[in-house]
Amino acid sequence: MDGRELALRIQRFDPSIEERPHVERYAVPLKDGMTVLDALIYAKDRIDHGIALRFSCRMASCGSCGMKINGRPRLACETQVSDLRSSTITIQPMDNFPIVRDLVVDLESFFSKHAAISPRLVRKGDPDEQDSPSGEYLMTPQELESFVQFTYCIKCGLCSSSCPTSSTDALFPGPQALAQEYRYLQDARDEAGDERLDLVDTEHGVWRCHFAGTCSAVCPKGVDPALGIQLLKRHVMAARSPLRRRKSKRTGARLFPNPNKDLLTRP
Amino acid sequence: MRESTIMQLQYGTAILAIGLVTVHLLMQGVLVPYGEAISFQRVLSVYRNVVDAALLEVLLIVVLAHGFNGLRIILLEWRQSARWTRGVNWVVLLVTLAAISYGTRTVILAATGQVS
Repeated sequence: MDGRELALRIQRFDPSIEERPHVERYAVPLKDGMTVLDALIYAKDRIDHGIALRFSCRMASCGSCGMKINGRPRLACETQVSDLRSSTITIQPMDNFPIVRDLVVDLESFFSKHAAISPRLVRKGDPDEQDSPSGEYLMTPQELESFVQFTYCIKCGLCSSSCPTSSTDALFPGPQALAQEYRYLQDARDEAGDERLDLVDTEHGVWRCHFAGTCSAVCPKGVDPALGIQLLKRHVMAARSPLRRRKSKRTGARLFPNPNKDLLTRP
Repeated sequence: MRESTIMQLQYGTAILAIGLVTVHLLMQGVLVPYGEAISFQRVLSVYRNVVDAALLEVLLIVVLAHGFNGLRIILLEWRQSARWTRGVNWVVLLVTLAAISYGTRTVILAATGQVS
Protein backbone atom coordinates (compact mmCIF):
# COMPACT_ATOMS: atom_id res chain seq x y z
CA MET A 1 0.00 0.00 0.00
CA ASP A 2 3.06 2.28 0.37
CA GLY A 3 3.20 5.12 -2.15
CA ARG A 4 -0.56 5.35 -2.39
CA GLU A 5 -2.45 8.30 -1.05
CA LEU A 6 -5.65 8.63 0.87
CA ALA A 7 -7.85 11.69 0.39
CA LEU A 8 -9.36 12.97 3.62
CA ARG A 9 -12.30 15.35 3.28
CA ILE A 10 -12.63 16.95 6.70
CA GLN A 11 -15.49 19.22 7.69
CA ARG A 12 -14.03 22.38 9.23
CA PHE A 13 -16.05 24.83 11.27
CA ASP A 14 -15.31 27.39 13.93
CA PRO A 15 -18.70 28.70 15.13
CA SER A 16 -17.05 31.72 16.75
CA ILE A 17 -15.86 33.14 13.41
CA GLU A 18 -17.72 31.24 10.66
CA GLU A 19 -21.36 31.08 9.68
CA ARG A 20 -21.37 27.64 8.15
CA PRO A 21 -19.07 24.61 7.87
CA HIS A 22 -16.84 23.98 4.86
CA VAL A 23 -14.85 20.96 3.73
CA GLU A 24 -11.07 20.84 3.31
CA ARG A 25 -9.17 18.12 1.50
CA TYR A 26 -5.91 16.56 2.72
CA ALA A 27 -3.72 13.97 1.00
CA VAL A 28 -2.31 11.43 3.47
CA PRO A 29 0.12 8.60 2.62
CA LEU A 30 -1.66 5.29 3.03
CA LYS A 31 -0.10 2.60 5.23
CA ASP A 32 -1.04 -0.97 6.08
CA GLY A 33 -3.22 -1.21 9.17
CA MET A 34 -3.94 2.52 9.14
CA THR A 35 -6.99 3.65 11.06
CA VAL A 36 -8.98 6.79 10.32
CA LEU A 37 -7.57 8.24 13.55
CA ASP A 38 -4.00 7.55 12.32
CA ALA A 39 -4.84 9.43 9.10
CA LEU A 40 -6.35 12.33 11.03
CA ILE A 41 -3.35 12.55 13.37
CA TYR A 42 -1.02 12.55 10.33
CA ALA A 43 -3.02 15.38 8.75
CA LYS A 44 -2.96 17.35 12.00
CA ASP A 45 0.75 16.78 12.71
CA ARG A 46 2.15 17.17 9.19
CA ILE A 47 -0.30 19.25 7.16
CA ASP A 48 -2.62 21.45 9.23
CA HIS A 49 -2.12 21.88 12.98
CA GLY A 50 -5.44 23.68 13.17
CA ILE A 51 -7.61 20.58 12.71
CA ALA A 52 -9.53 20.10 15.96
CA LEU A 53 -10.31 16.54 17.01
CA ARG A 54 -10.71 14.69 20.28
CA PHE A 55 -9.01 11.37 20.99
CA SER A 56 -7.29 9.57 23.82
CA CYS A 57 -6.84 5.81 24.22
CA ARG A 58 -6.66 4.81 20.51
CA MET A 59 -8.13 1.38 21.40
CA ALA A 60 -11.92 1.88 21.45
CA SER A 61 -12.02 2.08 25.24
CA CYS A 62 -12.42 5.76 26.05
CA GLY A 63 -15.05 6.73 23.47
CA SER A 64 -13.44 10.10 22.73
CA CYS A 65 -13.01 9.89 18.95
CA GLY A 66 -16.65 9.47 17.87
CA MET A 67 -17.29 11.12 14.52
CA LYS A 68 -19.17 10.61 11.27
CA ILE A 69 -17.00 8.69 8.83
CA ASN A 70 -18.37 8.35 5.31
CA GLY A 71 -21.80 9.26 6.68
CA ARG A 72 -21.88 6.72 9.52
CA PRO A 73 -21.14 7.42 13.19
CA ARG A 74 -18.01 5.46 14.16
CA LEU A 75 -14.98 5.57 16.42
CA ALA A 76 -12.06 6.83 14.32
CA CYS A 77 -9.58 4.71 16.29
CA GLU A 78 -11.22 1.39 15.50
CA THR A 79 -12.16 2.14 11.89
CA GLN A 80 -9.63 0.64 9.52
CA VAL A 81 -9.18 2.68 6.36
CA SER A 82 -9.07 -0.56 4.34
CA ASP A 83 -12.51 -1.56 5.67
CA LEU A 84 -14.05 1.56 4.15
CA ARG A 85 -13.04 0.41 0.64
CA SER A 86 -12.64 3.94 -0.61
CA SER A 87 -9.68 6.13 -1.44
CA THR A 88 -11.61 9.17 -0.26
CA ILE A 89 -12.90 9.43 3.29
CA THR A 90 -15.33 12.12 4.39
CA ILE A 91 -15.15 12.97 8.08
CA GLN A 92 -17.72 15.12 9.88
CA PRO A 93 -18.57 15.76 13.52
CA MET A 94 -21.31 13.67 15.15
CA ASP A 95 -24.88 14.78 14.51
CA ASN A 96 -27.26 15.90 17.27
CA PHE A 97 -24.56 17.73 19.25
CA PRO A 98 -23.43 21.38 19.03
CA ILE A 99 -20.06 21.76 17.30
CA VAL A 100 -17.27 23.23 19.42
CA ARG A 101 -14.83 23.24 16.49
CA ASP A 102 -14.22 21.04 13.45
CA LEU A 103 -14.73 17.43 14.65
CA VAL A 104 -15.12 18.27 18.34
CA VAL A 105 -18.68 18.36 19.64
CA ASP A 106 -20.08 19.51 22.96
CA LEU A 107 -21.18 16.43 24.94
CA GLU A 108 -22.44 18.39 27.95
CA SER A 109 -26.12 17.54 27.32
CA PHE A 110 -25.20 13.88 26.71
CA PHE A 111 -23.47 13.51 30.06
CA SER A 112 -26.16 15.54 31.86
CA LYS A 113 -28.79 13.11 30.59
CA HIS A 114 -26.65 10.19 31.70
CA ALA A 115 -26.28 11.73 35.18
CA ALA A 116 -30.02 12.47 35.34
CA ILE A 117 -31.01 8.79 35.26
CA SER A 118 -29.15 8.13 38.52
CA PRO A 119 -26.46 5.80 37.12
CA ARG A 120 -25.52 4.19 40.41
CA LEU A 121 -26.79 1.42 42.67
CA VAL A 122 -29.38 2.64 45.13
CA ARG A 123 -29.69 0.67 48.35
CA LYS A 124 -32.45 1.56 50.77
CA GLY A 125 -32.25 -1.25 53.28
CA ASP A 126 -28.55 -0.84 54.02
CA PRO A 127 -27.44 2.63 52.86
CA ASP A 128 -24.38 2.60 55.12
CA GLU A 129 -23.11 -0.42 53.22
CA GLN A 130 -22.44 1.83 50.24
CA ASP A 131 -20.05 4.04 52.21
CA SER A 132 -18.50 1.37 54.40
CA PRO A 133 -18.74 -2.01 52.66
CA SER A 134 -18.70 -5.01 54.97
CA GLY A 135 -19.35 -7.75 52.43
CA GLU A 136 -20.23 -8.57 48.86
CA TYR A 137 -23.50 -8.56 46.98
CA LEU A 138 -23.78 -11.91 45.27
CA MET A 139 -25.70 -12.41 42.05
CA THR A 140 -26.43 -15.50 40.03
CA PRO A 141 -24.80 -15.74 36.58
CA GLN A 142 -28.30 -15.42 35.09
CA GLU A 143 -28.95 -12.17 36.96
CA LEU A 144 -25.66 -10.77 35.71
CA GLU A 145 -26.29 -11.98 32.18
CA SER A 146 -29.60 -10.09 32.06
CA PHE A 147 -27.87 -6.70 32.03
CA VAL A 148 -24.13 -7.23 31.60
CA GLN A 149 -24.00 -6.14 27.94
CA PHE A 150 -25.19 -2.66 28.94
CA THR A 151 -22.24 -2.25 31.29
CA TYR A 152 -19.94 -2.31 28.23
CA CYS A 153 -21.14 1.18 27.23
CA ILE A 154 -18.19 3.59 26.87
CA LYS A 155 -20.36 6.73 26.56
CA CYS A 156 -18.98 7.69 23.17
CA GLY A 157 -22.27 9.28 22.07
CA LEU A 158 -22.50 7.46 18.72
CA CYS A 159 -25.91 6.02 19.59
CA SER A 160 -27.38 9.41 20.44
CA SER A 161 -25.86 10.98 17.34
CA SER A 162 -27.64 8.43 15.15
CA CYS A 163 -30.99 8.55 16.99
CA PRO A 164 -33.83 10.18 14.99
CA THR A 165 -35.75 11.09 18.15
CA SER A 166 -32.70 12.74 19.70
CA SER A 167 -32.39 14.91 16.58
CA THR A 168 -35.86 16.40 17.11
CA ASP A 169 -36.62 16.10 20.83
CA ALA A 170 -33.99 17.88 22.94
CA LEU A 171 -35.55 16.53 26.15
CA PHE A 172 -35.41 12.89 25.07
CA PRO A 173 -32.79 11.17 27.28
CA GLY A 174 -31.38 9.28 24.30
CA PRO A 175 -30.52 5.60 23.83
CA GLN A 176 -27.45 5.66 26.04
CA ALA A 177 -29.20 7.02 29.13
CA LEU A 178 -32.30 4.85 28.65
CA ALA A 179 -30.27 1.68 28.18
CA GLN A 180 -28.32 2.54 31.34
CA GLU A 181 -31.59 3.06 33.20
CA TYR A 182 -32.59 -0.44 32.18
CA ARG A 183 -29.16 -1.72 33.29
CA TYR A 184 -29.66 -0.36 36.84
CA LEU A 185 -33.33 -1.30 37.02
CA GLN A 186 -32.46 -4.86 36.05
CA ASP A 187 -29.54 -5.06 38.48
CA ALA A 188 -30.59 -7.33 41.35
CA ARG A 189 -28.64 -5.13 43.79
CA ASP A 190 -30.57 -1.95 42.99
CA GLU A 191 -33.57 -0.93 45.07
CA ALA A 192 -34.61 2.35 43.42
CA GLY A 193 -37.58 0.71 41.67
CA ASP A 194 -40.39 3.23 41.22
CA GLU A 195 -37.99 6.18 41.42
CA ARG A 196 -36.28 4.92 38.27
CA LEU A 197 -39.61 4.52 36.50
CA ASP A 198 -40.58 8.10 37.38
CA LEU A 199 -37.45 9.32 35.56
CA VAL A 200 -38.37 7.71 32.25
CA ASP A 201 -42.17 7.42 32.34
CA THR A 202 -42.68 10.99 31.10
CA GLU A 203 -43.83 12.82 27.96
CA HIS A 204 -40.26 12.98 26.68
CA GLY A 205 -39.08 9.73 28.21
CA VAL A 206 -38.83 6.11 27.16
CA TRP A 207 -42.07 6.15 25.12
CA ARG A 208 -40.62 8.53 22.56
CA CYS A 209 -38.30 5.80 21.25
CA HIS A 210 -39.78 4.68 17.93
CA PHE A 211 -37.43 1.73 17.63
CA ALA A 212 -35.48 2.86 14.57
CA GLY A 213 -32.66 0.69 15.93
CA THR A 214 -29.85 2.92 14.61
CA CYS A 215 -28.35 3.14 18.12
CA SER A 216 -27.68 -0.59 18.17
CA ALA A 217 -26.43 -0.58 14.58
CA VAL A 218 -23.68 1.97 15.30
CA CYS A 219 -22.59 0.92 18.81
CA PRO A 220 -18.84 0.15 18.63
CA LYS A 221 -19.00 -2.12 21.70
CA GLY A 222 -21.79 -4.38 20.47
CA VAL A 223 -24.28 -3.09 23.02
CA ASP A 224 -27.93 -3.20 21.95
CA PRO A 225 -29.49 -0.03 23.42
CA ALA A 226 -32.64 -0.50 21.34
CA LEU A 227 -33.22 -3.83 23.09
CA GLY A 228 -32.60 -2.21 26.49
CA ILE A 229 -35.17 0.48 25.73
CA GLN A 230 -37.82 -2.04 24.67
CA LEU A 231 -37.17 -4.09 27.82
CA LEU A 232 -37.37 -0.89 29.87
CA LYS A 233 -40.77 -0.17 28.31
CA ARG A 234 -41.88 -3.67 29.30
CA HIS A 235 -40.67 -3.07 32.87
CA VAL A 236 -42.55 0.23 33.08
CA MET A 237 -45.72 -1.23 31.60
CA ALA A 238 -45.66 -4.26 33.91
CA ALA A 239 -44.68 -2.42 37.09
CA ARG A 240 -47.28 0.30 36.54
CA SER A 241 -50.10 -2.10 35.66
CA PRO A 242 -52.85 -1.79 38.33
CA LEU A 243 -53.55 -5.54 38.10
CA ARG A 244 -49.90 -6.41 38.67
CA ARG A 245 -49.63 -3.95 41.59
CA ARG A 246 -52.73 -5.43 43.24
CA LYS A 247 -51.35 -8.94 42.81
CA SER A 248 -48.00 -7.83 44.20
CA LYS A 249 -49.69 -6.35 47.26
CA ARG A 250 -51.73 -9.51 47.80
CA THR A 251 -49.06 -12.13 47.19
CA GLY A 252 -45.85 -10.21 47.83
CA ALA A 253 -44.66 -10.95 44.27
CA ARG A 254 -41.84 -8.66 43.18
CA LEU A 255 -42.49 -5.78 40.81
CA PHE A 256 -38.78 -5.26 40.23
CA PRO A 257 -35.80 -7.61 40.04
CA ASN A 258 -35.02 -6.49 43.59
CA PRO A 259 -35.41 -5.69 46.56
CA ASN A 260 -33.51 -8.67 47.81
CA LYS A 261 -31.53 -7.89 50.92
CA ASP A 262 -30.31 -11.48 51.18
CA LEU A 263 -27.75 -10.68 48.46
CA LEU A 264 -25.31 -9.22 50.95
CA THR A 265 -22.91 -11.85 52.17
CA ARG A 266 -20.30 -11.10 54.78
CA PRO A 267 -17.06 -13.04 55.13
CA MET B 1 -52.27 10.69 33.75
CA ARG B 2 -48.98 8.84 33.51
CA GLU B 3 -47.41 8.52 30.07
CA SER B 4 -47.36 4.72 30.47
CA THR B 5 -51.14 4.75 30.99
CA ILE B 6 -51.60 6.89 27.87
CA MET B 7 -49.36 4.53 25.90
CA GLN B 8 -51.34 1.52 27.14
CA LEU B 9 -54.42 3.23 25.71
CA GLN B 10 -52.48 3.97 22.50
CA TYR B 11 -51.48 0.32 22.03
CA GLY B 12 -54.94 -0.92 23.10
CA THR B 13 -56.76 1.36 20.69
CA ALA B 14 -54.36 0.33 17.89
CA ILE B 15 -55.22 -3.35 18.40
CA LEU B 16 -58.95 -2.60 18.67
CA ALA B 17 -58.86 -0.38 15.59
CA ILE B 18 -57.35 -3.17 13.49
CA GLY B 19 -60.31 -5.42 14.34
CA LEU B 20 -62.99 -2.76 14.07
CA VAL B 21 -61.69 -1.24 10.82
CA THR B 22 -61.49 -4.74 9.34
CA VAL B 23 -65.13 -5.38 10.24
CA HIS B 24 -66.07 -1.93 8.93
CA LEU B 25 -64.32 -2.49 5.59
CA LEU B 26 -65.83 -5.96 5.27
CA MET B 27 -69.28 -4.43 5.71
CA GLN B 28 -68.50 -1.66 3.20
CA GLY B 29 -67.17 -3.60 0.29
CA VAL B 30 -67.03 -7.36 0.79
CA LEU B 31 -70.13 -8.62 2.58
CA VAL B 32 -72.26 -5.84 1.09
CA PRO B 33 -71.47 -4.53 -2.43
CA TYR B 34 -69.72 -1.14 -2.22
CA GLY B 35 -72.33 0.81 -4.25
CA GLU B 36 -75.11 -0.49 -2.04
CA ALA B 37 -73.15 -0.02 1.18
CA ILE B 38 -72.75 3.73 0.71
CA SER B 39 -76.33 4.45 -0.38
CA PHE B 40 -78.02 6.92 1.99
CA GLN B 41 -80.85 4.65 3.10
CA ARG B 42 -78.53 1.69 3.66
CA VAL B 43 -76.20 3.84 5.82
CA LEU B 44 -79.18 5.04 7.88
CA SER B 45 -80.38 1.46 8.34
CA VAL B 46 -76.93 0.51 9.70
CA TYR B 47 -77.17 3.26 12.33
CA ARG B 48 -80.66 2.07 13.33
CA ASN B 49 -79.34 -1.37 14.18
CA VAL B 50 -78.25 -1.14 17.83
CA VAL B 51 -75.26 -3.49 17.47
CA ASP B 52 -73.97 -1.75 14.32
CA ALA B 53 -74.46 1.69 15.87
CA ALA B 54 -72.60 0.59 19.00
CA LEU B 55 -69.73 -0.76 16.89
CA LEU B 56 -69.58 2.52 14.96
CA GLU B 57 -69.48 4.47 18.22
CA VAL B 58 -66.65 2.31 19.56
CA LEU B 59 -64.80 2.66 16.23
CA LEU B 60 -65.25 6.43 16.42
CA ILE B 61 -63.82 6.65 19.95
CA VAL B 62 -60.96 4.22 19.29
CA VAL B 63 -59.81 5.84 16.03
CA LEU B 64 -60.10 9.41 17.32
CA ALA B 65 -58.32 8.66 20.60
CA HIS B 66 -55.53 6.80 18.78
CA GLY B 67 -55.14 9.37 16.01
CA PHE B 68 -55.18 12.46 18.20
CA ASN B 69 -52.76 10.91 20.67
CA GLY B 70 -50.45 10.17 17.74
CA LEU B 71 -50.70 13.82 16.75
CA ARG B 72 -49.92 14.80 20.35
CA ILE B 73 -46.76 12.68 20.27
CA ILE B 74 -45.62 14.33 17.02
CA LEU B 75 -46.25 17.80 18.49
CA LEU B 76 -44.32 16.94 21.67
CA GLU B 77 -41.33 15.86 19.60
CA TRP B 78 -41.59 18.96 17.43
CA ARG B 79 -41.00 21.50 20.20
CA GLN B 80 -39.93 21.19 23.80
CA SER B 81 -40.89 23.34 26.75
CA ALA B 82 -43.00 22.77 29.83
CA ARG B 83 -45.57 25.29 28.55
CA TRP B 84 -45.77 23.68 25.10
CA THR B 85 -46.11 20.19 26.62
CA ARG B 86 -48.89 21.29 28.97
CA GLY B 87 -50.65 23.23 26.19
CA VAL B 88 -50.46 20.36 23.69
CA ASN B 89 -51.77 17.87 26.28
CA TRP B 90 -54.79 20.01 27.10
CA VAL B 91 -55.61 21.17 23.56
CA VAL B 92 -55.38 17.63 22.16
CA LEU B 93 -57.55 16.28 25.00
CA LEU B 94 -60.21 18.95 24.42
CA VAL B 95 -60.17 18.55 20.61
CA THR B 96 -60.44 14.76 20.99
CA LEU B 97 -63.41 15.08 23.35
CA ALA B 98 -65.05 17.64 21.03
CA ALA B 99 -64.59 15.38 17.99
CA ILE B 100 -65.92 12.34 19.87
CA SER B 101 -68.93 14.40 21.08
CA TYR B 102 -69.69 15.62 17.56
CA GLY B 103 -69.41 12.09 16.13
CA THR B 104 -71.50 10.65 18.95
CA ARG B 105 -74.17 13.27 18.27
CA THR B 106 -74.29 12.10 14.64
CA VAL B 107 -74.55 8.44 15.70
CA ILE B 108 -77.37 9.26 18.17
CA LEU B 109 -79.29 11.39 15.66
CA ALA B 110 -79.06 8.71 12.98
CA ALA B 111 -79.81 5.86 15.39
CA THR B 112 -82.90 7.54 16.82
CA GLY B 113 -84.37 8.33 13.41
CA GLN B 114 -83.84 12.07 13.64
CA VAL B 115 -82.08 12.00 10.26
CA SER B 116 -84.14 10.87 7.32
